[in-house]
Amino acid sequence: MGRILLICRVVLRDLRRKPVEAALMLLAITAATATLALGFGLSGAISQPFQQTRTATAGPDITVQTYTPGSGPERPPSATQLADMAALAKKPGVTGSSGPFPASMPMLRVNGYNVQAVVQGRTAAPAGVDRPEVTQGTWIHGGGAVVERSFASVLGIRVGDTIRLNGRAFPVVGIAVTAAWNVYPVDTFQNQYGPAGVVWLTEADARSMATASQPLFYTLDLRLSDPARAAGFENTYLNAYQNDGIDLQSWQDISADDGRVLGKVQNMLNIASTLLALFAITSVALLVGVRMADQNRRVGLLKAVGGTPGLVAAVLLAENLLLALVSAAAGLTLGRLFAPLVSYPGAGLLGAASSPALTLGSVEEVFGVALAVAVAASLVPALRAARISTVRALSDASRAPRRRPLLIRLSTRLPVPLLLGLRLSARRPRRSVLSALSIMITVAVLVTVVTAFSNAGGQLGPVVVAPASPKNLRPEHVVLAFTGVLVALAVVNVVFITWITALDSRRPLAVARALGAAPHQVVGGLSAAQLLPSLTGAVLGVPAGIGLFTMVSDHSGVVYPPAWKLAATVVGSLLVLGALTVVPARLGARRPVAEVLQSEAV
Amino acid sequence: MQEVMLAMLAKEPSHGYELRARLRAALGPLGDSMNAGQVYVTLTRLEKAGLVASERSDPAPDRPDRKVYTLTPAGQQRVAGWLSEIGWPKPDLAEFHLKLVAAAAARLADPVALVDAQRRELLRRLREAQRAGMAEPDGSSAGLLLEGIVLRLQADLRWLEACERTWAARKGESGS
Amino acid sequence: MSQTGSISMVRAKGLRKEHGRASGLVRAVDGVDLDVAAAETVAVMGPSGCGKSTLLHLLSGLERPTGGEAWLAGKRIDRLSERAVARLRRHSVGFVFQAFHLMDELTAAENIEMPALLAGSSPRAARRRAAELLERVGLADRVKHLPSALSGGQRQRVAIARALANDPMVLMADEPTGNLDSAATVDVLRLFEELHLAGQTLVIVTHDARIAATADRLITMRDGVFVDETRLTGGSTGSLSALAGLGS
Repeated sequence: MGRILLICRVVLRDLRRKPVEAALMLLAITAATATLALGFGLSGAISQPFQQTRTATAGPDITVQTYTPGSGPERPPSATQLADMAALAKKPGVTGSSGPFPASMPMLRVNGYNVQAVVQGRTAAPAGVDRPEVTQGTWIHGGGAVVERSFASVLGIRVGDTIRLNGRAFPVVGIAVTAAWNVYPVDTFQNQYGPAGVVWLTEADARSMATASQPLFYTLDLRLSDPARAAGFENTYLNAYQNDGIDLQSWQDISADDGRVLGKVQNMLNIASTLLALFAITSVALLVGVRMADQNRRVGLLKAVGGTPGLVAAVLLAENLLLALVSAAAGLTLGRLFAPLVSYPGAGLLGAASSPALTLGSVEEVFGVALAVAVAASLVPALRAARISTVRALSDASRAPRRRPLLIRLSTRLPVPLLLGLRLSARRPRRSVLSALSIMITVAVLVTVVTAFSNAGGQLGPVVVAPASPKNLRPEHVVLAFTGVLVALAVVNVVFITWITALDSRRPLAVARALGAAPHQVVGGLSAAQLLPSLTGAVLGVPAGIGLFTMVSDHSGVVYPPAWKLAATVVGSLLVLGALTVVPARLGARRPVAEVLQSEAV
Repeated sequence: MQEVMLAMLAKEPSHGYELRARLRAALGPLGDSMNAGQVYVTLTRLEKAGLVASERSDPAPDRPDRKVYTLTPAGQQRVAGWLSEIGWPKPDLAEFHLKLVAAAAARLADPVALVDAQRRELLRRLREAQRAGMAEPDGSSAGLLLEGIVLRLQADLRWLEACERTWAARKGESGS
Repeated sequence: MSQTGSISMVRAKGLRKEHGRASGLVRAVDGVDLDVAAAETVAVMGPSGCGKSTLLHLLSGLERPTGGEAWLAGKRIDRLSERAVARLRRHSVGFVFQAFHLMDELTAAENIEMPALLAGSSPRAARRRAAELLERVGLADRVKHLPSALSGGQRQRVAIARALANDPMVLMADEPTGNLDSAATVDVLRLFEELHLAGQTLVIVTHDARIAATADRLITMRDGVFVDETRLTGGSTGSLSALAGLGS
């Protein structure tokens, strides 16, 4: 009991003594766990709602569409196609059908957007198969339009708004969900039009939307006696009718396509949380390393009053584990808070927009990751502290800097700031490696974003469509937000490391100044000490980022951004870093030389 | 001085000039002040007291002096007695200390000024002794003697520092 | 300055340095005048806290005075920017500290190379100079030793060699023997004596009488002011043999 009390007391004292470092550590681990929780929250978010929606809306097992076969110009549907549809509705295994409904592809203009829509003409009476469930307003009546919910959500359409379809104004009378169409922005039409959002009109209005270049087509919804065999049905009749221009889609296809949107987001979040976790490990390791440097004396004191190596290790580990637990809890909470925003494509499905339940497994995993981060970062220092002899721990206030003869030799050929910088970074090689790593991760993410944007012209991969509504958090927002978090963490990290390096190397730098180094050279040296490892990290970040994008994207032909863009990313990051390091370096170098030397003299 | 000469003869019978050379080697620059006459006067005195005996040796062509001195048993006893004697030069600090007290009491002079003057003198001596010492080769016995002088002067200077502190403080108290 | 025979290497006029404010005001250096000629060795002695270290920092431009003038090698430095002072210091001043202040991760030779590299020497020239100086301070066999492998006296000799790396006009030493035992002190003394004979201008701040005694001129400082100044070159009244007890 007494031991636990002692550990708690020592841990809390130390946390209070170094609040900035503790806060930074919390921040780093929380960012990682929140992203992780978000990713877990999304898994399974789509399959359940789809089933729910299918049941509630009497969703079709097969949807049928007509299209212009061959490579000629678009034509209105032929008599053959209508006959084919009628035949399909009577095939064995089919127990019910709705339609054919007339449909067309007008452009929809609302709230400043001009996007592709697909309009389906429906009767006011509910159909036998596919009865879209109105979640707001009413079903179509009196020349009004009903907009599919995920489409409305993206464009910010509400009941009472007016939309323009091919220039004609329609009042929006309702918002509905359906299982017959993909949620927006899934690309239903295989890149022919890009993703199109569903709008229901009266049959007459739908027909009137047809133009010469976007002619009328028909859709048919079928119910089968055995929904599980929909895929077999689809294959059989797709082969039979595709020469006529008849397309079939099973409900499994729709579900899978919907799932891909969220799956994509989930995939991104998994990668993001992995990256943030890696980042968290590097920055936590840095912080722990920095703390350990001046913890030797504490370790010595603990041992001198009778602390066993086990106790010492426990104290050091407990502190970081405590921070990890708090961060994990915070991360889970944040993850839950943000999950509904990220899973928005589910707006097209019933029950999907509510925050996804966190399973016990995912909670365990989030805590596990947080603890693993803390242990990975502090195990080695804790063991070292446990092993170090009391007298040695007491006698030297910090670990002696490492000597790198080769780097020292090499540095003599460099201009003074680089000379100082190289030597400073060589003094603490572990710190340099870790900061290189954190910069590498940051640059990799930046490169991913740059690559993504140059691939899709403002879109992140195939998942995301052009118009972005400010009201909804969308996949590219997620990625941008995540990138923002990472960059912010990297900035904090760099500033902190520079500040620590400035404090840590006060004496050698004061001596250098006494020997005639000018203040700007010292500031340059401190900046260079950060920039040299950062440069390595940034350069390595480029291939890492491209690799990352290739992983995220399912496009086979990834378009690589031009070299100048990559170079600009690297150089830009380094310039920003350099600028960021100047402030702490200046602060660190401002103390008068005489004062430093005096206070550190024996 | 007499005991020193006797002790130096204890090793082996020697000529006067040999004794003088040995003394000079041990004293280094300090031995310069010792002239040949002093050595012979002392030897003559010791011979009269029956502590050394002398006899003429074979004449060396380049040496006018041919006497070789040997310790007598009485001389040997005297050397043994001297070696076992515990004596140490007494530091004469009381005089300077009383000088400061008296000067302060009678307001004849500023004790701090007296200390300063004394220190200047000691520092000059220190400088001389130190330079002489540094001119000696490593491990020379004369160097060791000079080091002794330097260390004593340092001790004296440290005492003067203490004097200065105290007297400056007293002056400050009485002045205010 | 050229008309006078001896050039003033270091000069101070009414030099003042104050720390703190109002009731906590400390006058570390309180109106000091000083003139150190080329090739002269000047020692400043005084009890600790008398302001002698601060004086040295002011004279070398490591600290900026509150008032008065400080001149270094004919240039007034109290008004210069820190950058300009740094540049001047590189070539004009070599600094020796009580705590040596060698860089732990650099070898003896590399420590000595530092000022030369800072001043823009080529690595080759810096290395040659370091070897030369190590030879001069009698540590030619310690080129590759880290400070931790050197004794205190050796460390201070490396520090002195480092101070000499750019052939400074003035060598300033702050308690150079403060951390040394008497044998190591003698080594440093010898080195200073040699430098003195070679015509190096030296300003030494110390409370060690032995190192002070190497000076041509001794200044005593108390409470930020000079209270006494003596030439030590005049010689003493007594003879050395009398000091050794040979007078009788």
